[in-house]
Amino acid sequence: MTKRKGSWRGAVVALALGTALTGRAFAGEEDDLQRQIDTQKSSVVDLERLDELKAVGDEIALLRSWLDEAWNLRAKHEYDQVRDVLDRALKQEDLIRAKIIVSKLRAQEQRHEAALKDLNNRIARTRKALQDTVDKKKAIERTNS
Amino acid sequence: MLAVGAACATPPKPRELEVYDVLRQNNQARLPDISKRSPDLVAEAERRSGAAHDEWQSNDLDECRANALLAQIKLKTAIALYDQDQLKAQIQSLSSQESHAQEELAGLSKDLASEQEKLALLQKYVDARKTAEADKAQAMTEQQKAQAEQEKLSQQLAAEQKIATAQLAMRTADTVEAAQYAKADYTAATDLLAKAQSALKASDFTSAQAAADAAKRSADLAAAAAKPQYEQAEESSQNKARNEALARDAPTIPGVKVRIDPRGDLQRLVIVVPELFTKREPNIAAGHDMVLDGIAGLLKKYPNYPVQVIGYTDNRGRSTELIALSAARAQAVYSALAERGVDTKRLMVSGLGGEEPFTDNRSSAGRAKNNRVEIVFLYH
Repeated sequence: MTKRKGSWRGAVVALALGTALTGRAFAGEEDDLQRQIDTQKSSVVDLERLDELKAVGDEIALLRSWLDEAWNLRAKHEYDQVRDVLDRALKQEDLIRAKIIVSKLRAQEQRHEAALKDLNNRIARTRKALQDTVDKKKAIERTNS
Repeated sequence: MLAVGAACATPPKPRELEVYDVLRQNNQARLPDISKRSPDLVAEAERRSGAAHDEWQSNDLDECRANALLAQIKLKTAIALYDQDQLKAQIQSLSSQESHAQEELAGLSKDLASEQEKLALLQKYVDARKTAEADKAQAMTEQQKAQAEQEKLSQQLAAEQKIATAQLAMRTADTVEAAQYAKADYTAATDLLAKAQSALKASDFTSAQAAADAAKRSADLAAAAAKPQYEQAEESSQNKARNEALARDAPTIPGVKVRIDPRGDLQRLVIVVPELFTKREPNIAAGHDMVLDGIAGLLKKYPNYPVQVIGYTDNRGRSTELIALSAARAQAVYSALAERGVDTKRLMVSGLGGEEPFTDNRSSAGRAKNNRVEIVFLYH
C-alpha cells in the first residue's frame, strides 16, 4: 500500500512538474512571439517613414492588419498560426521594402526624364537660336557684300 | 445525398487566390524575364499558388488563402525586384542620354556664343561702316558748305577788291579833277560805284563786281578825258607858283638887284650883277665867288627855265668893241657858272655893249653900274 501510495505521489509530482515545465515553455513561446510582433510593428513604423512617396500605403495597411491578427492569435495561444502570420508578415516587409525602392527609383526616373526633356527643349531652343543667328549673319553679309 | 453533394461541391475561389491569378495574368508577358531575374521567388510563388488551387479544390480554404497570400507576396516581390532592375537600367540610360544631351547642349551653346559673337562683330562692323559713311557724307556736306562759303567769300573779296580798285580809279580821276573836266563819265562812275556798294551790302557779289568794273572803266575814262585839261591848268598853276618862288628866291643872292621886266607874252626875271669886272677887263675880278655861287644855286634850283646871260658895258668906246667886251664878259660868267655845275645847255650868252644902260653914264658911279652882266630867267 505504501509502495503504491508512494508511486502515486511520484506520479502527481511528475505531473505537477510536467505541468509547470509545460506552462513555463508556453509562457516563453508567448513572450517570444510577442517580441517578434513588437519588433515587426516597430519595423512598420520604419517602413512608413521610408515610404516618403506614400506608394505602399495599402501594403503597409495589410501588414498592420496581419500583425493585429497575429496579436489576436497569440492571445488565443494559437502559436502555430501566429508563426505563420509572422512569417508572412516578414515576407510582406521584404516586399514593401522592394516596392519602396521601386517607387523611389521610379521618382528618380521621372526626374531624369523631366531633366532630359528640359535638356532636349533647351537643345531645340539653342539649335533654333543658332540657326536664327547664322541666318541673320548671312542676311547681313548679303546686304553688305 | 444533396448534403453530401453540397459538401463535395467546389467553393467559390477565395479572393486572395483570385488576386494572385489576376496579378499573374497581368504580368504574363514579362513573367519569363521576372522568373529569370528571381527564379526562386517565382518558383516559390508558383508552388504556393499550385497548392492553393489544390486546397481550394479540396475545400481547405484557410490553407488556400494562406498559400495564395504567400504566392502573391513572392510574385509581387519578384516583380518589384525586376522593376528595380528595369528602372535602374532606365535611369542609367536616361543619365547617359542626359550626359549626351548636356554635351550636345554645351556644344550648341558654344557654337551659339561663337556665332553670336561673330554676329555682334559683324553688326559692329556694319554699324561702324554706316557711321563712317554718314561721317563721310557729313564731311562732304560740310566741305561743300565750306567751299560754298569760301566761294562766297572769294566773290565778296573780289567784289570788295574791284570796288576798291574802282574807288582808286575815282581818286585818280579826282586828282585830275575829272568831276570838273569829265563830268558825264565821272558822274556815271560815281553812280556805278554806289550801285556796286549797294550790291555788296545785299551780298549780290556778281552784280557788285560788274558794277565796280563798270565804275572803274568810267572813272578811267573820266580821268583820261580830264587829264589833258587838268594838266594844262595844273601846269599853268605850277608855273605861276614856281615863278613866284623864283621871284622870292632871286633877291636873296647878295650883291644883285632883281627886277621883273615883261616883254609881250614873255615874262623876264632879270638879275643884275654889277661890278664883276674892273675897267675894260673881260675876266671876272676876284672876290665875287659868293655872288656867282648864289646865281649857280638859283639856276640849279630852277632848272627848267631858259636863261640868258647878257653882258653890258657903259657907253664909252666903239660900239663893236663894247659889244665884244660885253660878250666876253657874259662868256666869262657862263664859264664860271659851268664850273659850278650849272647845266649850260639852257644858257644863252650874248653881249649887248652899251645898250640898255642900267643907269646914267655921265657919272663914274653910273658907268660902273652899267658895266654889268644880267642873268635873265624867261617864262610865260
